[in-house]
Amino acid sequence: MDQLLQALVSGLLLGGFYAVMVLGFSVIWGVMGVINLAHGEFLMIGAYLAWGLSRLFGLDPFASLALIVPLMFLVGYLLQIVLINRIVERPHLMTLLVTFGVSIALANLFKILFDADPRNVAVAYNGSLQLAGVTFPIVKTIIFGAALLIMVCLHLFLQRSRLGKSIRAAAQNKTAARIVGVDINRVYAITAGICIALTAAAGAMLSPTQAIFPFMGPPFTLKAVTITALGGLGRIPGALMGGMVLGITEIFVSTYVAGIGTNLGVATSFVLLVLILIVRPQGIMGGLRPLEPEAE
Amino acid sequence: MATERNQKENEARVKRKPLISIPAPVDSLLAGWAGLALWLLLLLLLALYPYTGVSSVALFVGSQIFVLVTLASNWNLIGGMTGYVDFGHAVFFGIGAYIMGILVTGSPLLISPEWGFWQALPASGVAAALFALLIGLPTLRLKGPYFSIAMLGTLVAMREVARVLRPITGGGVGLNLPPLLNRLGDYYLMLAVMGLVVSIIWWIQRSEFGQSLIAIREDEIGAEMRGINTTLHKIVAFMIAAFFTGTVGGFWAWQNTYIDPDVVFVEARTVEMVMMSMLGGLGTVWGPPLGAVVIYFLQDLLWGSLFGVHLVALGVLLVVIVLFMPEGILGTLGDRSSTSLGRLLSRVGRSK
Repeated sequence: MDQLLQALVSGLLLGGFYAVMVLGFSVIWGVMGVINLAHGEFLMIGAYLAWGLSRLFGLDPFASLALIVPLMFLVGYLLQIVLINRIVERPHLMTLLVTFGVSIALANLFKILFDADPRNVAVAYNGSLQLAGVTFPIVKTIIFGAALLIMVCLHLFLQRSRLGKSIRAAAQNKTAARIVGVDINRVYAITAGICIALTAAAGAMLSPTQAIFPFMGPPFTLKAVTITALGGLGRIPGALMGGMVLGITEIFVSTYVAGIGTNLGVATSFVLLVLILIVRPQGIMGGLRPLEPEAE
Repeated sequence: MATERNQKENEARVKRKPLISIPAPVDSLLAGWAGLALWLLLLLLLALYPYTGVSSVALFVGSQIFVLVTLASNWNLIGGMTGYVDFGHAVFFGIGAYIMGILVTGSPLLISPEWGFWQALPASGVAAALFALLIGLPTLRLKGPYFSIAMLGTLVAMREVARVLRPITGGGVGLNLPPLLNRLGDYYLMLAVMGLVVSIIWWIQRSEFGQSLIAIREDEIGAEMRGINTTLHKIVAFMIAAFFTGTVGGFWAWQNTYIDPDVVFVEARTVEMVMMSMLGGLGTVWGPPLGAVVIYFLQDLLWGSLFGVHLVALGVLLVVIVLFMPEGILGTLGDRSSTSLGRLLSRVGRSK
């Protein structure tokens, strides 16, 4: 019973992180129809930035978000203007290939810059709390809280602000949005900036809990795809739900299947993904776009 | 360097002719018997090449180029001709390498008489083909980007599995194969495999089977309505591509004498295959080999000295090719619609 409760709590905490990790991926896909295969690499960059800032200036990873978020917003904005806007209306294959190329280039660039050695960010509050027989690791609990906060903010931004409304308009009907005067290229660039910043923020928050290395990205990209297939595109409650499902599944597999540990996280989510896509190609909650190249 | 000259002659032959004469007939000529004849002639020249008394380094370079050409052609069969863009094709390479490693060393599984290289090499290919059957049955039902991502998932998942299955694969420590240096043997083996693979691709492209694959790429539902058993065709193409990729993986493990999960199950190898095919011309017979040769010498000339930089350049180059030359060399210089991405682009352009 205790084990079950512990597994549930660990799964929920992991799920909260997954939910905030997937937001950037899911919104980019939902708004522009671009599957960003370099998603995990931006997470990796965020983690490295947090590591660098804590090493150079002794900044706390959560405090360093104040620097990382604007910086990565700029990176995402420029990347979109220079690269992705050129091909966003071409066949999906091209954006897929370009982001795949970006992901390989970034991962290997960081390997050259920082070696392949795993890095760690140490924080003082790295302990855990006992509550009713269940262990709450402090860092993961903070991440969970921050994840909920970020999701609420993003939701309010998309629903209430003028810019958020134009982003949603661009997602729903590009042509109509253009007609009513939305500058699609600019909206796309801002969307990409926000998404990349969010992803890097997730990476920075992850940094105290996991070793950082240049090739940590692809597993996160794949998990992001799985969560999006579970929860639907660009939907914040969906991301939360999908993240929870994946988090709990992963923890249960590692708790109850002997001799695996958490090392088979990607294999688990891969099986989940293929099953979902075969049984329900539109995703569990619906709303995955039919990605036929000529449909656009 | 004679190999270089031969390869360059080959490049030049494919490259120049569409410029000089009217592209379309030359394209069809190369796709026909003349293309095969030229290919066999080139193979003959390459087979005679070691008799000119070259160093073992040149032989090593030769076998490496043959490996790249084989991989690119294989990827092109599933990614270019059938239109199922496989981002995890390196998984078959890895499986071939591991089967070779396990059978030849025998140690983790305590296979008591260890297999010889010649028994293990076909086993590598067969294992990869069986894995393709297993994984293709679910994944080949997925469309477009979903297939690409599912295959990328297969690759990353298999890397984890190889690391976890310590008793069989040696885990993260990897496997050491007996080092046996035979550069001349390697050269001829890979020459034979490359010759076979490219000839098979040439034959497939002319056969009804290949035409069905192209029909699947262009319009899968339409192909199915015409009575093509699309599942069977896709699986067979996938298995052929996996078989030779696995064979090459087995050979590579033997030549490299060391494998671990991060060396064989690596995304960069897939990118390499994708990029070589794209550079030459996706979906054509002669494009991927041409692309592979160009990439090899480009790597050698531009960034061969700095280890690691070439992988960054690989990613950047993929981006550049997609942005500026999506139809590849053959599509840019010759008939644009002969490559699959060129067709896709022109079709999308029309419909707008």
